[in-house]
Amino acid sequence: MSDHVPISPPGCGRRPASFPVTGTGRWSIQQSFLLRCCLLVSRCLLVCLALRVPVLLAAEDVVLTGSEQQEAASPAQLEFFEKQVRPVLVEHCYECHGERSDGGLHVNSRESLLRGGDSGPALVPGDPDSSLFVEAIRYENLDFQMPPQGRLPQAQIKVLEKWVEMGAPDPRDDTTRTGLPVGMSIEEGREFWSFRPVANSPVPDLGTHAFVKNPIDAFILHRLIEQGLQPAPPAQPRTLVRRLYMNLIGVPPTAEQVDAYLSDASPRSTQRLVDQLLHSPAYGERWGRHWLDVARYADSNGLDENLAFGNAWRYRDYVINAFNADRPFNRFLIEQLAGDLLPDATAETKIATGFLVLGAKVLAEPDREKLTMDTIDEQIDATGKAFMGMSLGCVRCHDHKFDPIKQRDYYALAAIFKSTKTFGDTNTGAIKHWHEYSLESVDDMDEFKLIDAEIARLKKEASDWKNSAITKLRAAANDKATEYLMACTKLSVTDSLVRISEVAGQYDLHPRILHHCRRHLEFNQQHEVFKPWHQLQQGVSDPDQNADAVEKFYRPLFAAASGGQVVSEPSAQDAKIKSIVLPDAKQVAAALKDHSGFLTIPPKPEFAFDDETLAEYNRRMEAARIYESNARDVPAAMGVSDNTVLTRLPIHIRGSHLNLGEGVAREFPTVMRSSEVRPVFPRHQSGRLEFANWMASTRHPLTARVYVNRVWRWHFGEGLVRTTENFGVLGDRPSHPELLDWLTRWFMESGWSTKNLNRLILASSTYRMSALHPQKSIASKIDPGNRSLWRFRIQRMEPEQIRDSILSISGRLDAVMAGKTVPLRNRQFVFNHTSVDHTRYDSLRRAVYLPVIRNNLYTMFEQFDFPDPTMPTGNRSETVVAPQALLLMNSDLVIDSADVLAQSLLNLSVSDASRVEMAYQRVLGRPPTGREARRAVDFVSQVVSGAKVNAAAVDEKGARRGWLLFCQSLFASNEFMYQR
Amino acid sequence: MLKASLQSRRSVLCNSAVGFGNLAFLHLLQKNCRAQDGAPTTSGAVEPSGPLAPKPTHLEARAKRVIFLFMKGGPSHVDTFDPKPLLDRDHGKPLPFDLPRVTFAKQGNLLRSPWQFKRYGQSGLPVSELFPNVARHVDDLCMLRSVHGTNPAHGGALLKLHTGSDQFVRPSLGSWLTYGLGTENENLPAFVTICPTLAHGGVNNWGAAFLPAHCQGTPIGNASLNARSVGVKHIRNQRIDPRNQRRQLDLIRSMNQEHLDTVGANDALEGRLNSFELAYRMQASMPELQDLTRETSATQRMYGIDDPVTEDFGRQCLMARRFLENGVRFVQVTHSDSEVQWDQHGNLYAGHTKNAGEVDKPIAGLLQDLKSRGLLEDTLVIWGGEFGRTPTAQGNNGRDHNPHGFTMWMAGGGVKGGYAYGATDDYGYYAAENKMHVHDLHATILHLMGLDHQRLTYRYAGRDFRLTDVAGQVADDILA
Repeated sequence: MSDHVPISPPGCGRRPASFPVTGTGRWSIQQSFLLRCCLLVSRCLLVCLALRVPVLLAAEDVVLTGSEQQEAASPAQLEFFEKQVRPVLVEHCYECHGERSDGGLHVNSRESLLRGGDSGPALVPGDPDSSLFVEAIRYENLDFQMPPQGRLPQAQIKVLEKWVEMGAPDPRDDTTRTGLPVGMSIEEGREFWSFRPVANSPVPDLGTHAFVKNPIDAFILHRLIEQGLQPAPPAQPRTLVRRLYMNLIGVPPTAEQVDAYLSDASPRSTQRLVDQLLHSPAYGERWGRHWLDVARYADSNGLDENLAFGNAWRYRDYVINAFNADRPFNRFLIEQLAGDLLPDATAETKIATGFLVLGAKVLAEPDREKLTMDTIDEQIDATGKAFMGMSLGCVRCHDHKFDPIKQRDYYALAAIFKSTKTFGDTNTGAIKHWHEYSLESVDDMDEFKLIDAEIARLKKEASDWKNSAITKLRAAANDKATEYLMACTKLSVTDSLVRISEVAGQYDLHPRILHHCRRHLEFNQQHEVFKPWHQLQQGVSDPDQNADAVEKFYRPLFAAASGGQVVSEPSAQDAKIKSIVLPDAKQVAAALKDHSGFLTIPPKPEFAFDDETLAEYNRRMEAARIYESNARDVPAAMGVSDNTVLTRLPIHIRGSHLNLGEGVAREFPTVMRSSEVRPVFPRHQSGRLEFANWMASTRHPLTARVYVNRVWRWHFGEGLVRTTENFGVLGDRPSHPELLDWLTRWFMESGWSTKNLNRLILASSTYRMSALHPQKSIASKIDPGNRSLWRFRIQRMEPEQIRDSILSISGRLDAVMAGKTVPLRNRQFVFNHTSVDHTRYDSLRRAVYLPVIRNNLYTMFEQFDFPDPTMPTGNRSETVVAPQALLLMNSDLVIDSADVLAQSLLNLSVSDASRVEMAYQRVLGRPPTGREARRAVDFVSQVVSGAKVNAAAVDEKGARRGWLLFCQSLFASNEFMYQR
Repeated sequence: MLKASLQSRRSVLCNSAVGFGNLAFLHLLQKNCRAQDGAPTTSGAVEPSGPLAPKPTHLEARAKRVIFLFMKGGPSHVDTFDPKPLLDRDHGKPLPFDLPRVTFAKQGNLLRSPWQFKRYGQSGLPVSELFPNVARHVDDLCMLRSVHGTNPAHGGALLKLHTGSDQFVRPSLGSWLTYGLGTENENLPAFVTICPTLAHGGVNNWGAAFLPAHCQGTPIGNASLNARSVGVKHIRNQRIDPRNQRRQLDLIRSMNQEHLDTVGANDALEGRLNSFELAYRMQASMPELQDLTRETSATQRMYGIDDPVTEDFGRQCLMARRFLENGVRFVQVTHSDSEVQWDQHGNLYAGHTKNAGEVDKPIAGLLQDLKSRGLLEDTLVIWGGEFGRTPTAQGNNGRDHNPHGFTMWMAGGGVKGGYAYGATDDYGYYAAENKMHVHDLHATILHLMGLDHQRLTYRYAGRDFRLTDVAGQVADDILA
């Protein structure tokens, strides 16, 4: 480019070696109040003071000192400021540091500059080299550059440097407010409902009331009466039995099970049924799945590099077993956070620590320290949300803007997690591996070494085969180098591959190589070897003549370069050829050898190889993939262990690991501590066990409350606190605070037993209410959201319930429990760069065993509000979107199941009316009304007669089609999909 | 004509309470209520037109729809749209300033571009010989030569570019636009992504994360499939003939209606009743929109569909145009073949030659087509990859990932044509002038679509989230 204006590279001068590049050269912008509580990691790397620790000076001191130091500025100095300095500040700085104070910094007065921002004072009057302000505008430090959009002109930088050097004379008044709004103080926080100790709520005394079966009902009824509401009547037994089955084991009762319950006249029949369901192994499959939502369980990493978590299933099975065994929740918590550190640690308790490893990580993050801190953040966030209903992740960059959680609290916890080992020592290329516990002795490792070697061999075999095929292609192309150049004379550079293929056919050439060759000639018109090709054709329009000339010129050259016999020099008879400068023989040889030259082999095998070669290559690749997918894994479990113990960790200013502040010791969040006495952490352990024990204590204000609220949510479809993961200031307030505390206390007294809590809730009239209310219109006016629970909430089935119920009803459900189900070897790519989708969800086992592939969930899960498996979720959504209907109308799962059900109805020699009755019983748990039965029979016969041709065989097919469509309709109906 | 039809369609939709997306919008309101802790708003206030209905913008919108031409793998800016003469001069010498603290791979010395640049159009903007067809439209292009991101690995960079975060799962750009603007056609998804890559973030790159489900992008196939044969999942039923399916839907409708009568008014149940009808219509409309035989052969040729080299990407682009003109808000097309993509750590010459050859003509065809239909003025076209490549060599014919400065370009939709914004340094390593971080790019795209990136927020888990997190600056200079 002739008029190219050189641009100075940023940071080409002095740069301390320790400075990072990950930043964007901008102080964070904080516009809205709410957004101030955002985690800003990538952009937090901007303000780096790694070499200037500590920086936390008392702001008032700085202000005072600075104010006092300013001597009266001379008129000349002030003129300099007004003419030279102020315009630059206004133009380049005020947008973010004027009214706003991005990064905590205002620049609209001398005082505010002296006070500085999050990284400390911006100005040292008289000393430009020590002033952060000057460092930033000099643009020499890649991570500390202002203004962010680009370097100021050199003259303006000089002006500002000079201004600082003269002591920063500045007539402006300090009108800026100091300090940002902060969240609650610790003292205020202790008065906030969720941080107060669990109260001993008295049960409301309502005298004898038919509704009050246990204290839950007393609390609920008390509130209803206050609001002038009546509870709904008890649900019909037929409705209740279905509700209990769906709620506790996730599949509906069979017609026989319904009958058995209905015919049991004992007053204890419901309690018996509850006990029976709680003892069913399917209870753990259903309730364990609830916890897996909270634990953001998945069988692959997702996020940036989707590697299979080939051993995550052990954690899944651990959770299912824990629920079936009714593991006390406090023990369950301790195992998941510190099972490796328990005095009685076992393989099982180590597997439990998988909770801390299951998060999605940026496994290919090249900045190892960032990865470590990001991972700790994910662990703290998941732990906070899952067990304490707190979003602690907010506190990485600054004190919580709403909740009484301070940045010190965060780094005190982070010190514990930094002393914990989450990553292993191996990697796949740039992709780091997470930590796992080997569950087998080293003797057995030989077998796995052999497996690894075999996988490597198969992969190499495939790539060797590909390389040898390419070598053959290359040799063939080189043999025909002259023909390629000849063929090119018949092509324009814009010709389509269709045309190119015709010409390639004439010369027996590879069309894609020819395509590239023609473009190469275009791109290399001045190249010594290819210039003649263009010259030869100048002024000649006959392609055959041109091809001839090209042949005469190049064939001898190529022959000579390939070491072949030189037939003759380029023909001397042709005047034109004579006039062209012969390229250097070495250059010709180099062009022929150049793998990226005019005879480049297409880089994509589909384009390079013929069908047969391609098929063979794909076969070999596929063989390697299949072998790897099915190869046995080293028996191992995802889990954490202790790392080098850090007893203190510096606060990371703005969350940046490159901007370290004061160190803080390991500690629990202050507001949740029930004692003023500081905990003592062991010197040689991370402190996770102490942390877990503290959380599992009956004195912790949140742990039991949060869990009890979850259990309530899993029974009623809505929590007493609807924001199950947020018990903070921005979260919901409990609808029945006294009930929540009473239940929490009861739960702890009963030994933190989930099943006891289930029993208590299930025995209440509150749970057994109907979803229909005789005075619905009045009640909806008083309490439209049903917060006071005047009726049972209608709930859409979760995708696991939908799928398992459809399979169960049609008799297809495979009840096998436990074991590895993700069809990939540990750490195998779910998706590599090819995007070929090998995931399959055609297993007929319970949905809890279907692989949870992050970034590629099973469509039914995805459509029916399965939670994002990267975020702890206690409260699933219930959306209605059209693709759900498509899935029910068109997916194989539903059609196949309807078909099996239809066939089983047809196999019975009964009337169509009886078939309809059986279908209703099996799918909806009730007999059809007469109208429904007639409509169904009519529907089937319509479909059948529509399909009728003549032959009996067709009729049979038509009948099956008709019943299939009818059964599918039942599966798609609202009555089936919505529990009441 | 298009505008008129959109208008009438909109007015029809305003009277119906259903859409492709979330039919139970009451649920959405409840969700918001939940988020606003103790003070839920009255859930009785149901908007008559649902969450996907077109919404008023914060600002005057310069563009109504977006097509993002995503070049997976990271095309080299110094070989395409950002010429660096000093690379020729200093070929083989070391970079005269420091490398970043973290690089993806080991870096060699400076490597000159194997391609020549020429100036085109009235603006005289330079384009390399890799893009001769796009170059003819250079006066419509707004080159963004100072884009920079934060992550030097594919996964992180894709996530950053598509969602603004390379650390957490966050809603994607298209989802935010859907959330903020609704759709012009409720019978279609508001956000479609054609043949997206399943690697490096996969679904997250078009996911809604915590935004309502209707904001999720609808994938049509994936990058490993031929654009000729891709479709929306479950959109076809080979096993049941349409007449019987119609009968079946009538049966389901009457069953659901009776159930509703028993249970009483319920938005979710009513929404679900309608969702089957909508799904039935979609079964017809989606394949119809994807049917490119409805286009003239001249149009097909314009997109290069007659040439096996350009056919696949040409189909994606043409399909995209059909979606756009039928009211889809955001369409992404992805160029990402199964082997090489734009990730030329080695074999730069052959790889980029092939890749550019596959997309150049279709992109030019798309620009031409949009222009001749009058769509370009309010359609924002965006081109780019997840990062650029280093001016330094990897091996002797390759370049490493470079998120520190690279080129994307925009066209149409309210941006200056024939304009180059920002610059990298002399060698093309770092963004240097008018630096445009990915957050700034997002802020600018939202601005062009009439949304203020600081006001487009969604409260989740006690925080108001933004696409631009706490950053983002609109590049005012590029606004036409």
